[in-house]
Amino acid sequence: MNAPALKMTGISKEFPGIRALADVDLEVRAGEVHAIVGENGAGKSTLVKILNGVYQPDAGTIEVHGEEVRLTEPTEARRHGIGMVYQELNLVPDLTVAENITLGSMPHSGPFIDRGRIAQSANRVLEMLDTGLDSRARVATLSISEQQLVEIAKVLREDPSILVFDEPTSSLGERETRTLFNVIRRLRERGIAIIYISHRLQEVMEIGDRVTVLRDGRRIETRDISGTTPEQMVRLMVGRELAEMFPKLPLTPGEPVLRVESISATGRFANISLTVREHEIVGLGGLVGSGRTEVARAIFGLDHIDSGRIEVRGTAIGGSGVRRHIRAGIALVPEDRKGEGIIPELSIRENVTLPIITRITNVLIVLLRRERAIAQEIVGRLNVVPPHVERPIGSFSGGNQQKVVLGKWLLAKPQVLVLDEPTRGVDVGAKADIHRIIGEFARDGGAVLMISSELPELLAVCDRIFVLHEGNLAAEIPRTEMDEESVMRAATGQVPK
Amino acid sequence: MSDMLMAPQETTASTKEPRYSTPGTWFTRLAVPIALVTIIVIGAIASPKFLTQGNLLNVLNANSTMGLVALGITFVAVSGAMTDLSVPALVALGALISLGLQPTLGPVGAPIAGLAVATVGGSINGLLVGYFRINPIIATLGTGFVLLGVSQIMTGGGILYGQPSSLSNFVGGTMLGIPVFVWMFVVVALILWPLLSRTAYGRWVRATGGNYEAARASGVPVRFVKALSFTLTGFLSGLCGVLIALSNGQARPIVGAGYDFLALTAVVIGGTSLFGGNGSIVRTVGGVLVTALIGNLIILTGLPTQSRNLVTGIIVVAAVAVDAYFRRKATRA
Repeated sequence: MNAPALKMTGISKEFPGIRALADVDLEVRAGEVHAIVGENGAGKSTLVKILNGVYQPDAGTIEVHGEEVRLTEPTEARRHGIGMVYQELNLVPDLTVAENITLGSMPHSGPFIDRGRIAQSANRVLEMLDTGLDSRARVATLSISEQQLVEIAKVLREDPSILVFDEPTSSLGERETRTLFNVIRRLRERGIAIIYISHRLQEVMEIGDRVTVLRDGRRIETRDISGTTPEQMVRLMVGRELAEMFPKLPLTPGEPVLRVESISATGRFANISLTVREHEIVGLGGLVGSGRTEVARAIFGLDHIDSGRIEVRGTAIGGSGVRRHIRAGIALVPEDRKGEGIIPELSIRENVTLPIITRITNVLIVLLRRERAIAQEIVGRLNVVPPHVERPIGSFSGGNQQKVVLGKWLLAKPQVLVLDEPTRGVDVGAKADIHRIIGEFARDGGAVLMISSELPELLAVCDRIFVLHEGNLAAEIPRTEMDEESVMRAATGQVPK
Repeated sequence: MSDMLMAPQETTASTKEPRYSTPGTWFTRLAVPIALVTIIVIGAIASPKFLTQGNLLNVLNANSTMGLVALGITFVAVSGAMTDLSVPALVALGALISLGLQPTLGPVGAPIAGLAVATVGGSINGLLVGYFRINPIIATLGTGFVLLGVSQIMTGGGILYGQPSSLSNFVGGTMLGIPVFVWMFVVVALILWPLLSRTAYGRWVRATGGNYEAARASGVPVRFVKALSFTLTGFLSGLCGVLIALSNGQARPIVGAGYDFLALTAVVIGGTSLFGGNGSIVRTVGGVLVTALIGNLIILTGLPTQSRNLVTGIIVVAAVAVDAYFRRKATRA
């Protein structure tokens, strides 16, 4: 009779070109903290979104307290007692704690909101959390950690029997994490089934009762956390055959091209130094939120740095600003392709020539014929299909868009190519093309700095890997010592350095 | 994933790629021509005067100053800064200075000063919106009040008169039988058309409006681009003011009232998106013609002139709704 709080059976989900989840089972009992771990892209967030009714699984069933449910919408999930605490906060800063907690359905009498009942209702859930938070305080005056408690209280007001925490500690410090853990333990005692998603292994070891390891969209194992070592867990997370999917060109590094000297930016990263040489592909590893993207953006001049210097071939770049960095020979293929990579309504031709447009004019007028020829040439080289340079880039697949973004920078002939997740969300064929292009760029004397959340990709492509952990350089791993465990250990902060 | 985004089958032997078209693009291409033809047909049937040369030249003459402003607003809108609400003040500045400074700067120097001051006013808008990243509506609302205040103080709230000169005679007259106002609009439109569609700057404008962050990350000087669009609008508003003042021989601070929204209406009806990235001078010229002819048609057919607002309003809402509809459809894919 004692059915588990949540039982997911045979869950599969496929996106165009990507198998996100394959036949995943998950069983969470009332009164336990069930951790879900896995590399980026292992399927954690897809699983959470299915649980929240954002995605519908292609196959599989979900049972809540023994009763099969269909979660077609987030409101459906809420109705079945599934609560979500996201890593981003969704609070209205100018309202009070009580108003935020009751925002979804404010008690009112007649046309007016009922302040008394709002406070009452808010205090009830705040007491559950036992944090001494004042329900009359304005949310803007609270710390991040207190705001997160408000977020949790908001969810608790719906009386969930299943509570999902998705990377709840990513913006919290050590002390705040303690507070959160105390709250989680208290909720566990109340018999709530808690799903805890994190890639911080130490936290998982501390707060979790059982853990399910996902890898490549499959469930690898579910086991009790007591009796499991962090080393075993890492091995479960990454232990996959390292297929030689990406043929690497054998190249000998030459002169240093990019030299980054102890750059810091408050709250993002501190004291990062690294060098990339000719013919060299250097990886920038680390977990999401470790500061990888921020370092890449700073190197390209998109974000300010507080101190430190960036040199290209011995010449320091004076001041910030993208245009200066481009002139110095740096290019960035950004992580957020839709937000920062493409201009969807412009054609491929117009997108791909954007950085060099002033060079294909006769003083004033853009030389359309030449521009088209340039676009067609690069589109052919990058294998964009179909090679229609006059179509808006927004109408192409992600892989094609990414190739065009890459092509845009190849045309600018940079010395340093910084790539942030260049193959994310890209199908296998496009991925191989992109790797080939990167390899050719290095062969021709370019220096490449590449970020990827996909460890096998980094290991296969890179000559060296710098690993970041919480905004600091955790390790520099040469090719001879590179393997998934060494990178993962540094990325999860297990290498004292 | 919608059908229109699927790759068309490649034709075997052809090296020419198929012209790209979606429901959105054919609609924006054809809406204005269809509207123009419809209006002309209705006009020809409804009033024998409508298609006469005199009537058409009159309509163009009366709308070409607004048209000049609309050409500037096109750049502002395409660069993603929506519109410039300080246009009435900039028009007033151009008008008042071109008359008020005639005693000191002469009949030619004063209009040039008027143009210069309005251009500087526009560049202040550009500075605020482009470099300080203030919301364009708020920024130009503010500068509009300030500049209007300046012009009111300048005149003490009254009317300024100018002296007739050969320049003012020329501006108010005709050339080859066509009013100089119309020539101005045509010449400026012919200069700005390739500026937006064929130059590197024009490409930058569309890139900035299409996706600000991506344009910035591609080395487009996005702040400069927005600033220049406002500066251009300042210059054209000043030109509008100068033309009106010289031809009338008098001007008041309210001379530019309504030009902001009239011009914006023409831009929107022409099919330029206020959300940036998409638009052209040709469309705006079409929008100017449509709004102008509708107004004319209402007068000629004897409908109450008050109904002009009603009709224009309906067309604006329809144009914006259609734009929003195709936009949503495009982003959903």
